[in-house]
Amino acid sequence: MRSLTPRQFSSYCLAVDSAVRSNAVVVPLRPVSAPEVTKRVAIVDGALACIAAKGLRLTTVDDVARASGMSRATLYRTIPGGREAIIQATVETEVARFFSALAVAMGAANTLEAALVDGITSSARWLSNSPALTTLLEVEPWVIMQHVSFGQMDRALALAVDFTGPFFGRWLEPAQAARAADWAVRIVTSYLSNPSDTIDLTDPIQVRDLLRQFVLPGVHALQERNRS
Amino acid sequence: MGQVPDTREQITAAGYACIARFGPTRTSVEDVAQAAGVSRATMYRYFPGGRAELIDAVVTWEYRRFFLALYEALRGAETLEEVMERGLMVAHQAIEEHEVLQMILRTEPEILEPALSAEGQPTRELVAEFLTPYLERHELRPGIEVDAAADFLARMVLSYMGSPGQWNLDDPIQVAELVEVELLSGIMPISS
Repeated sequence: MRSLTPRQFSSYCLAVDSAVRSNAVVVPLRPVSAPEVTKRVAIVDGALACIAAKGLRLTTVDDVARASGMSRATLYRTIPGGREAIIQATVETEVARFFSALAVAMGAANTLEAALVDGITSSARWLSNSPALTTLLEVEPWVIMQHVSFGQMDRALALAVDFTGPFFGRWLEPAQAARAADWAVRIVTSYLSNPSDTIDLTDPIQVRDLLRQFVLPGVHALQERNRS
Repeated sequence: MGQVPDTREQITAAGYACIARFGPTRTSVEDVAQAAGVSRATMYRYFPGGRAELIDAVVTWEYRRFFLALYEALRGAETLEEVMERGLMVAHQAIEEHEVLQMILRTEPEILEPALSAEGQPTRELVAEFLTPYLERHELRPGIEVDAAADFLARMVLSYMGSPGQWNLDDPIQVAELVEVELLSGIMPISS
């Protein structure tokens, strides 16, 4: 993990953003034309609509073809590998979209507190506004929960820490930025998987108050240690 | 007063013994009925949903036993720091050394889902309730409310104990650092 200067940081945001726009994350091994990228996005969005309507298990390739307005043949040509490849492309694209939204929110922050508050609020909003995710949590929760339980959660943490660590690196040493990122990810997963009666993670004022009470004193203690 | 173990409990305990021995995939309703010494008819009277309901009851039963054992192991802790540090270490070790849990995580982790979902909130409340007297006894930073602090600590402890991420919870020095900074720095008064 590295720490970024503001300049490196803005090019990083642009790179993530353009990666998502061009769908580089799901790019196949051969060069693709612009219409093909558009088709991939249409398929992914079709798959998301199907998952939002009836969950993952009941979603078939035919459903996705219908929802994306494409023939089965075009669908197989655009994303070879059948149902599994379509689901993988969908997951990868959604993860890239999530991190892209997070990069935009955290990139606009001018203070460490704002980076934490905006990162957490933006994550919570994005996740709770996803119709596909909402349906999955209702009808097939294990599809999601397995990634935030026991050893699998360690992997999700590592991914999220790798991504968000550099943003905190503007204010913290790399090892401490990783700690702050790990901490923030746990707050998001805890409040989303186990909602609170009193704290709404999509509300920046409530998140700010929560962090000022329980998190920022620790983050500032880490910063102080650096200085001394 | 002595209590006659009820049939449901007896079947659940037998179910746990079978899963521990054969694994969840190879445990049948017949195996459990035989181990519990009850008929298939009795079995279905207590678990009309069959195998799935039985397995779920077994997971929930062991899940609660796990937290009760933890509760007992930590009751002697004196200070807030001590209960947090010992709690994280004991809980993490208990998870790592729980052979049946580790086997399920390797083979059929999805059977944990109903219990994890249903028990999530009660467990958080149980942990928060356990921590409350420690918080009440302790001088807290001005503006910190006991209930809010207990809820926050319970969430964090439950997160770290199952998935330590970059922390080594077998190392007392790391655990002390985690407790001091991530868990208690906003709660403890600023030391002079």
